[in-house]
Amino acid sequence: MRETILQALEQVYSNLVHMVAEFLPRFLVMLIIIAIGLLVAFIFKQMLRALLGLTKIDRVSEEAGASRFLRMAHLPAMSELLSRSIFWVTWLCFVLVGLSVLGVAGLQEQISRLFRFLPEIFVAIVILFLGAVIANFLSRTALLAAVNAGVRSARILSWSIRFVIWILAITMALEELGVARQTVVAAFSIVFGAAMLGLAIAFGLGGQDLARRSLERHLGDTKTENDKEPQPL
Amino acid sequence: MNVGEVDLLVGVSSRDAADTIAHALSAIEQSFQQYFVRQRVVIVIVGSGDKDKKNGLLEATSSTPFTRNPRQPGITSLRTIHRVTADFSTPPPPGVALHTVLAAADLLRARACAVLPPAANLNPSAVASLLKPAYHENFDFVAPLYKRHKFQGLLARNLLYPMSRAVFGCAIRELYSDEWGFSGRLASLCLNQDVWQEQAIRARPEAWMAISAIASDLRCCQTYLGEKSQPPTVAGSDIVDALRQTVGNLFWCLEGNQSLWLDSQRSQQVPTFGPEHELTSETTELDPHRMFEMFRSGVTELEPILSVILDPDTLIEIKNVVALPEGQFRFRPDLWVRTVYDFASSYHHAVINRDHLVQAFAPFYRGMTNSFLIEHSDSSPAEMEAASEMLCAEFELQKPYLRERWKANVEVKS
Repeated sequence: MRETILQALEQVYSNLVHMVAEFLPRFLVMLIIIAIGLLVAFIFKQMLRALLGLTKIDRVSEEAGASRFLRMAHLPAMSELLSRSIFWVTWLCFVLVGLSVLGVAGLQEQISRLFRFLPEIFVAIVILFLGAVIANFLSRTALLAAVNAGVRSARILSWSIRFVIWILAITMALEELGVARQTVVAAFSIVFGAAMLGLAIAFGLGGQDLARRSLERHLGDTKTENDKEPQPL
Repeated sequence: MNVGEVDLLVGVSSRDAADTIAHALSAIEQSFQQYFVRQRVVIVIVGSGDKDKKNGLLEATSSTPFTRNPRQPGITSLRTIHRVTADFSTPPPPGVALHTVLAAADLLRARACAVLPPAANLNPSAVASLLKPAYHENFDFVAPLYKRHKFQGLLARNLLYPMSRAVFGCAIRELYSDEWGFSGRLASLCLNQDVWQEQAIRARPEAWMAISAIASDLRCCQTYLGEKSQPPTVAGSDIVDALRQTVGNLFWCLEGNQSLWLDSQRSQQVPTFGPEHELTSETTELDPHRMFEMFRSGVTELEPILSVILDPDTLIEIKNVVALPEGQFRFRPDLWVRTVYDFASSYHHAVINRDHLVQAFAPFYRGMTNSFLIEHSDSSPAEMEAASEMLCAEFELQKPYLRERWKANVEVKS
């Protein structure tokens, strides 16, 4: 009886030693991969930062209005954001590769799923970012044009444009991620259609004069009252 | 056509001028016949070939040897007046048209040149007035001066002239005009600069040309032309377009010529031929009430954008004056100058899209115009001139503020 127990304990101990002996090198390899990843990610970050410095992307981003959006979201400047992003993406890839070396059952499957999903997350982020930049630029363009044309409630017009573009961008991003695809598309169609119909009715009923003047300006040769107004030049 | 070397060259654009170009060409030729009898002359017409052909322009642009002025039969040009037409498939923008004229001037080694609008009321003496200082007195840039209605040319009076005078140290009143004269030397200098693809130059090249002359220590002068000749279509009759073409262009020139003004104090005397200024006092059709309303609504609606462009103290003061009743509102010169300098430095730092920035300036210009119209409704020309001088002095006084904001590291509020 005693011998049996001792044998069992020996067996468990030897299995444990065997497992640890098998796991430790893999763990060591994982740590090495993660450390190398850290180094590679850091190098990538520095290289990209230098490259973006040469291309003056911060200035372009400032002019496009993207920097303002970044500041509002308490994010760093464009060059810094892209450099940090490349650092984290690179390092995350190395971490996932390192984890897969451990050979933990089930983990590899999850990691490979995550890898397959990464491009879609990246595309969704890009869509949201571009959406924010375009929404910012176009809403500001509309605001300035409306203010200088003497249109009342110019800011509401500007916000409407920003809202519609944001909705469009979020819908596209969610569709890219595959989140409740049909529901999102249907919801967007309803919201967008309703907004457009509302605007059309509002413009048609409330802005008959404005519509007439716009049509005259764009289609006809006749000058509107606004055009005839002398300018202080 | 080989026309060899010439003494005088006049460039004129036929863009949108089918009805008036013939008169303008006739006025130029009369000017040559009356004032430059012995000089070798050429007229360069920049136009769009197909359109001009349809309008019968090309038939009217052939060379006319020994043209005789029927009104002054005794005076005849001793030389052939050549006409050279540069055809473009589409009407070229002013910068491209000027580049063509400069290339012709350089090729023909013209001594004095002028760019003129194809205006219906262009007169021969005005053409001569622009050419003579460059030809006889060796001036390199000849700016026009006009007889103005007292509420005409407000943008030049309240911004372009005082700011360019304070910054570049050169008191040219009409920096932005569609007619000016220049020497062959300045033509060659400008032709060789690598700026011709810039949008600012393509749209309005004249101020840049004057500033190039100042930067190269070339001689500038002004000459009185009388009534302003009206081109067939008034460019920039929309206020935002006009601001783009002038204020935006001036800000661009500031940036391109930083070395000229940022760390140096320059001052160049600008001799004037004829009266310095002449104002008439007819009533104006401008509506001060509407100007004020658009200023007020503009500042209110654009506040998020203005908080990025203006200095916080300037914005607070602007909000304070906007809150005043219309009758009490005045745009003080110091606040106006600070606002303009804030916009200029924000343009330099590109805190927002530059075209948006210039558009955001329009309400302020309307506010200033309202203030000016109310303040000077009964002013005499002498009083207006005194006020203008005071504004120039304010621009000069606050130049260190512009320098400080220009050099500051951009730190934009969200």
